[in-house]
Amino acid sequence: MKIRQQLLAAFGLLMLLALVPSILSYRELSSVRKRLKPVELATDITKVFLEVRKNEKTFLLLKDPNSLQLLQKQMGMLKVNIEDLETDILREIGSRNYSALHEAIAAYGKGVKDLADNFRSQQLEINSLTELGREIENDLSGDALNTFLILRRYEKNLLIYRDSSSMDKFRQTMTLMPAPLTAMLKKYSDGANRLYAYFQGEESLEAELLKTGSEIQNYTDSILQSEREDIDALIRYSMNLLLLSLVAVIVMGAFLSGRLASGIHASIKKIRLFAERVASGDFSETLEVSGAREFGSLAEALNSMSLKLKETVSSLELAITNLHEKQGQLVEAEKLASLGRLAAGVAHEINNPLAIINEKAGLMQDLLVLTPDFEQKKNFHAQIEGITGSVNRCRTITHRLLGFARRIEITIEPMNLNDAIRETITFLKSDIFTKSARLELNLADDLPEVRSDKLQLEQVLLNLIKNAVDAISEGGQITVTTSRKDENTVQVFISDNGSGISKDQAKHVFEPFFTTKERDRGTGLGLFVSHAILRKLGCSIRLQSEPGRGTTFSIDVPLRPAPAEKKA
Amino acid sequence: MSKAKVMIVDDEADFAETLAVRLRMRGYDMHVVTSPADTLLILEEIRPDVLLLDLRLPGISGVEILMTVPQICQDTNVILLTGHLDLERQIEGLRLDSFHYIMKPIDIKELIEKIDTLSRGHE
Repeated sequence: MKIRQQLLAAFGLLMLLALVPSILSYRELSSVRKRLKPVELATDITKVFLEVRKNEKTFLLLKDPNSLQLLQKQMGMLKVNIEDLETDILREIGSRNYSALHEAIAAYGKGVKDLADNFRSQQLEINSLTELGREIENDLSGDALNTFLILRRYEKNLLIYRDSSSMDKFRQTMTLMPAPLTAMLKKYSDGANRLYAYFQGEESLEAELLKTGSEIQNYTDSILQSEREDIDALIRYSMNLLLLSLVAVIVMGAFLSGRLASGIHASIKKIRLFAERVASGDFSETLEVSGAREFGSLAEALNSMSLKLKETVSSLELAITNLHEKQGQLVEAEKLASLGRLAAGVAHEINNPLAIINEKAGLMQDLLVLTPDFEQKKNFHAQIEGITGSVNRCRTITHRLLGFARRIEITIEPMNLNDAIRETITFLKSDIFTKSARLELNLADDLPEVRSDKLQLEQVLLNLIKNAVDAISEGGQITVTTSRKDENTVQVFISDNGSGISKDQAKHVFEPFFTTKERDRGTGLGLFVSHAILRKLGCSIRLQSEPGRGTTFSIDVPLRPAPAEKKA
Repeated sequence: MSKAKVMIVDDEADFAETLAVRLRMRGYDMHVVTSPADTLLILEEIRPDVLLLDLRLPGISGVEILMTVPQICQDTNVILLTGHLDLERQIEGLRLDSFHYIMKPIDIKELIEKIDTLSRGHE
């Protein structure tokens, strides 16, 4: 994913995190708003009912019929209010409680009505009782009148106190009345008893009313309470939701931005390390960056840069190596050439006095032959032979050196290297035989002809094979191999399994007077001369040697002499 | 059979004289020329059977002498004295393979054989 997309995704996620709780709390808050209305209504109900209770108390205390009427009216309002709120109340207190509430209200209403009826009946009874009492009072006289007056006092007591003792006293006094009782008196007594019953009914009705009243109050209170609690819970829920979403947005934001930043940081660090590695010349690794797609394409670009850089560097390195090699070869060749010129000059200068020494010594010998024997004659002979022997050694050296210096015209002719090798080996048969050496020829059948100087190449082959023979011990092995190297070159390998030479020695083998052979065996000029000849013919020679395992010389012979070398 | 008449032309007098003494001891009629300028005159006068000629001479080209010899005396055979044949070949730019030569320092036996072979051919 691209960085821009990642940022957008993170932003979207955060927005979602913020949006969802916001929507939820908005919904909750608007439902709070809706719930406020039932609360208001519930409050109204409570208020109305409180009014009802107030009137109830007033009635109970003052027995004021007006308050009872008011009470009844308010109860009607309450009923309407509660029916308006039916759904809410149902929800809040459940249908069972709702019907209980309904019943309670109905019971309360009935209680009020009963109380009112009772009250009305009381009033009627009191009026008729008082009327009757006055009538009887007018009829009676004497003791009966006195007793009846006491009875009337108890009647007043009952009307005021409404208690049982007043009633009991009334009844006792009634027994004191002279029997038989008149119909009027009997009616009077019955009325008092009825009134007492009304009083007692009123008491129980009042108790009942109080009970249902407080029941309804409990209901309305609990409705209000639970509505409040609901709203409180909703507000708390919204608050928590908002708080939670705030925390979530902060945490998620921190996490996402941290992740994004660390991803980018890690990628950049990877790229930086890669660049440092490339800068230090280590092209072995390819850059792999996970994460944002921008880094992927950057990595691709860097990889291809590194690859191109690698190619460039390696081609430069190759060029430098080649240059060094060429330079080394040139320096080497120049060194050898100047050494050669110096050596040839010295050799030529030494050659003439050497010739004189040779003649003088020869003459001395001649003279000695003609002279009759004398005491030390034999000794003289020996000494002179020592001189001529040394002169001969010197001659070998000077001739080779002079041979090096020659710059004869090269005779280029088509020739077969395999044939040249076979011819050369015939010259060395005796040496090979003496050493009981095994000679192996791996000559390629399809070796193309080369155009070169046959005699000089044979000279070189002779030198190299002779060296190989000298290097091996008794019964050693010499291998001569020819092969085609490429379109323009054939190769000759001359290997032996002799003593080999060290790397240090290998550096000097083509220098004049360098030899690993015993003192009298080599002049130290064979390889020097061979090298010079090969260079002249445009050939190159290399040496591979390992002490104790043997030596291999390889010669590259061009099919045609290189134009630059032709003239030399 | 008398021994051959041999003339040595070499500016190195010590060498030429000593060699002459040695050959004279072996019965050859020896003449030494150490001043190359006189060579042709003396050659005409002596007319040797064999001429030992050093190619590297001061003042006159050995090759010039070599080329002139047949014109002066046809019977004279030349043996070139040389440090190294190829060296001379390089200097003169000639192919001298067809001439007889002997390399310095000289192997006396080889020289005598050569002189005898050449002079005998004339008798």
